Amino acid sequence: MVKHWWKILGVALLIFAFTAGLLTPIRPGINDIQPTAVVAGQTVSLTLTGYNTDFNQEQAPKVILWKDGDHIINALGVSVLNSRQVQATFQLPTAFPLDEINELKVSTSDPANGFITALPRLRISGMEKGGEAAASAWTGTIENTDSKGGFTFPYLPNIYESVRNTFYHVALWFAMFTLFTLGVIASIRYLLTRNVMFEQRAVSYTSVGILFGILGLITGAIWAQYTWNKAWSWDIKQTMTAIVLLIYGAYFVLRISFEDSDQKARISAVYNIFAFASIIPLLYVIPRITESLHPGGQGNPAFSRGDLDNNVRMIFYPAIIGWILLGLWMAQLNFRMMKIKERLLENEY
Amino acid sequence: MLRQLISANMNSLLRHFLILTAMLVSSGLFAQSGGEDFMRSMGKMYVVVAVIVAIFIGIVLFLIFLDKRLTKLENQIKENGKAR
Repeated sequence: MVKHWWKILGVALLIFAFTAGLLTPIRPGINDIQPTAVVAGQTVSLTLTGYNTDFNQEQAPKVILWKDGDHIINALGVSVLNSRQVQATFQLPTAFPLDEINELKVSTSDPANGFITALPRLRISGMEKGGEAAASAWTGTIENTDSKGGFTFPYLPNIYESVRNTFYHVALWFAMFTLFTLGVIASIRYLLTRNVMFEQRAVSYTSVGILFGILGLITGAIWAQYTWNKAWSWDIKQTMTAIVLLIYGAYFVLRISFEDSDQKARISAVYNIFAFASIIPLLYVIPRITESLHPGGQGNPAFSRGDLDNNVRMIFYPAIIGWILLGLWMAQLNFRMMKIKERLLENEY
Repeated sequence: MLRQLISANMNSLLRHFLILTAMLVSSGLFAQSGGEDFMRSMGKMYVVVAVIVAIFIGIVLFLIFLDKRLTKLENQIKENGKAR
């Protein structure tokens, strides 16, 4: 039992990632404002449509239009249509003190949902620069600017609930890279020691790495289908990953095509180092310098700053370790099988 | 040797074929049962379900592959025992 601690830890971390990752609610958000554009000086009635919100008439939210903390317009009246929809009436001023502006932020605040800023901005036309004289119309206030408490995931446009895929699709890539790294270390050790055990380890790590890579590509395609509307868009990251997997696929073709086991081991170890070296430009350099649909298009290939909320991180990091340990377990099973096969060839059974 | 080569190739072909079907099934099944709106309903929650199902199928395929190779080894051990 004691020597299996890492398997138990891996499974426990994955159970945590699955339960916490699926049960944590998404923070309330507002994804639609009707009408989308208004004219300065008019009285307008805006209908806000929320996501995961729980508006109620007794504690109707305070609704504001604002540019920054010092320039706020309070709603004249707010009526809650249902738990998802709120209607707010505003008297729009004709001028803004500091500048000509063409859009404003819309936010709501109430005890049940906390402070929410709508994702779309309200477009506004005819708002002139008014100087100090215009300031009196912008003296609204808002008391509570804390977002909803409790453990929640961020509300992201277009992603919504599928932010949870971070723990399954994204974490799988980290595990794949770890397995490939362990594989190449084993290959190097084989070349240094000529101990066939290291070669078997390299093959085991790499094959599970490829499985995770293929799964990463498939899960990525599923996710892409419903966020980019296209499962395969020849995006630079998708294409480069497919190339990497083909390079690694050739590793196994190479292994099949040699009869002499010594030669097979040597050449495949050298090839594994080459394949690993190709990952770095293909997955970590080219995607950084080209445009991509994938988050973090330029810069870090996986995330842009701010994509990862702290709450997401708290599940994401354990999930990575969990997938790595599961991968190691799968690789170990393969390795043990290869060891038996070798002894069988040497007629030890 | 040739036989081994063919069977190994068949194995990997079979694997690729299974993976491809898994991919089609996991995205196709959901799409069929209510059009694309089903996958996008509930804030795209079913996309997460499809992703988890795909990973699960992948791990099961690994188990099937391992099972097959272990069976082969077991049979060989049995035969060797008889020969002795």
